[in-house]
Amino acid sequence: MSEDRKIELDRMRFEKNKTSTNLTYLAILADVFFFICIYQSDVGTWYYNIMIGASIIYNLIFMLAAFLSSEGVKNYMEGYSWLLGLLGIIQVARIFIIPVQALAATVTIQDQTVQVMGGWQFARCVIYLLCSAICCFSASAIGIRKSRALNAHLASLEAEGN
Amino acid sequence: MSELSVQHIDKIYDNKVQAVFDFNMDVADGEFIVLVGPSGCGKSTTLRMIAGLEDISAGKLLLDGKDITATPAKDRDMAMVFQNYALYGHMTIYENMAFSLTMRKENPNVIHKKVLAAAEILGLTSQLNKKPSQLSGGQRQRVAMGRSIVRNPKVFLFDEPLSNLDAKLRGATRREILLLHKRLSATMLYVTHDQTEALTLADRIVCMSMGHVQQIGTPLELYDSPANLFVASFIGLPPMNFYDVKVQEGELLGEQFRVKLNEEEKSRLQGYEGKEITLGIRPEDVAPGDEANMTVFSNENLGMNTLVHGHLGGTKKATDKISAKMRGWCNYKAGDTVGISFHRKHFFDKETTNAIRKEA
Repeated sequence: MSEDRKIELDRMRFEKNKTSTNLTYLAILADVFFFICIYQSDVGTWYYNIMIGASIIYNLIFMLAAFLSSEGVKNYMEGYSWLLGLLGIIQVARIFIIPVQALAATVTIQDQTVQVMGGWQFARCVIYLLCSAICCFSASAIGIRKSRALNAHLASLEAEGN
Repeated sequence: MSELSVQHIDKIYDNKVQAVFDFNMDVADGEFIVLVGPSGCGKSTTLRMIAGLEDISAGKLLLDGKDITATPAKDRDMAMVFQNYALYGHMTIYENMAFSLTMRKENPNVIHKKVLAAAEILGLTSQLNKKPSQLSGGQRQRVAMGRSIVRNPKVFLFDEPLSNLDAKLRGATRREILLLHKRLSATMLYVTHDQTEALTLADRIVCMSMGHVQQIGTPLELYDSPANLFVASFIGLPPMNFYDVKVQEGELLGEQFRVKLNEEEKSRLQGYEGKEITLGIRPEDVAPGDEANMTVFSNENLGMNTLVHGHLGGTKKATDKISAKMRGWCNYKAGDTVGISFHRKHFFDKETTNAIRKEA
C-alpha cells in the first residue's frame, strides 16, 4: 500500500464521511421534488387519493430514515449504509406504483376522459425517484467501502500497538 | 530565520488618543519576548500592530529585513493565540487545527501529517475527535496553540493566553508553553499583565506603562536592576517598599530609620550628598537586624517563607508601611516589634524617578 493511501485511510479516523452524507441529503431533496410533483395532478380517483395519502406517509418515513442514515454513514457505521441501499431499492420500486399506474389511468370529468398524470409530469416523477435512488445507492456503496477500509485500518493500528 | 525589528512605532487612534509611543525593539531569531505592564499600557495594542490587526500610525516593522508595515495580517506569516481561544465550537479538535491549512487549500494528506505532529507535541492526540466544549480550558488553549503550530509561522504571538485559566492550570500551561518554545525554537512574543509569567517565560522582558517602554532586559535585569520606580514597583511580588530618604555623610536618613551605606553604595550616591532620594527595598531583602524597627500588623505563613506586614517605627502612616519576606516559619503577633536590616538597596532619583546607578 502506498504512503499516500495509508494517510488517506488514517485521515478517516478524524474526518467524517461527507460524501455519503451529502449524497443522502441529495436523495432526500430529490424525494421532496417527487413529493411536490405528484400533487400537480388536480384530477384523481378514489384509488389515487388513497395512494397519494400512503405516499405522503411513506415520504415522511423515508425522510426520517434517510436523515438518520446520513448521520450513521457520516460516522462510518456500516449498518446504515445497508439501510440506505434498502431505501434506494424502495425508491426504484415506487416508480411502478404512483407514476406508472397513474400514467395509464384515466378519469371521466363532465363526460370527458382525462389522463390522471400527463407524460411530462410522469417523466419528472420518474426522474426524481431515480435520482433519489441513485444517490442512496452511491451513498450506500461509498459508505460500505469506506467503513470497511477504516475498520481494517483500525485493526492494523491495533495490531501494531497504536 | 525569523528576526523581527520594531522601529519607532506609534499608535494614534482616530480620536487623537496615542496608545503607544516610540516602541523600539529588535527580536532575535528564536527569542521569547514578553510584553508586560498594567491594563491599558499599550502592550496588546503593540502586539496587534505587529500581527497586522491594528494599523501602525508611525514607524516601521521589519521581518527578516523585509518591511511588512503595510502588509495585511494574512500575509505576515505570523500566528496569534488569543485569550479566549477562538475555536470553532461545531468543529472537532482535528478540524479546528486543520482549518487554516484547509482554507489555504493545502493537500489533505500534508494537513493530516502536520495536525498529527502538532497534536503529538501538545499531547492532544487522544482528543482529536472531541469538540472544544468537551475539553478543559488548558486543553482548549493547547488546541489554539496547535492551530498556530500547524501553520509553521515565522513568529508566534500570544495575547494573554493564560488569563482565562485557574491558577493551577495556568502554572501547568505556562510550563507547556516554555517546553513548546524550547522544542520549536520559534520566535515568540507574549503579552501578559502577570509578572510571574513574564519572569518565568521570557528571554527578555519589555516592561510598558502608559504606552511607553520603561525597560527592556532579561528577567534578572528587570528584577535586580530596575530602570526606574515604575519597573521596580511592577516587578516583584510583594512589591518593593519605597521610602523618601536623605543622603547625609555616608548614611541614609529616613523618618523612622538611619542606615549606613557601604562603599559601593556611597560611590553610587556620590552626586546626591544632602539631597533627597527614593530608597527601594524588596521584601525579600528585609531580614532580622538592627537598622530599623518594624511594628507588625499581620503575619502570613507561606510555608518556606513568612510574609510580615508592619509599620516602621511604630507609626501608622501609609508612607512607613513595610512588607518583609522572612525566611522560615515566623509567628509574629500584631503589635510585636521586630528589629530589621536592609540587605540590598535600590536608589531612585526623586525628580526623574530613574534608578541611580554607578557611573561608568
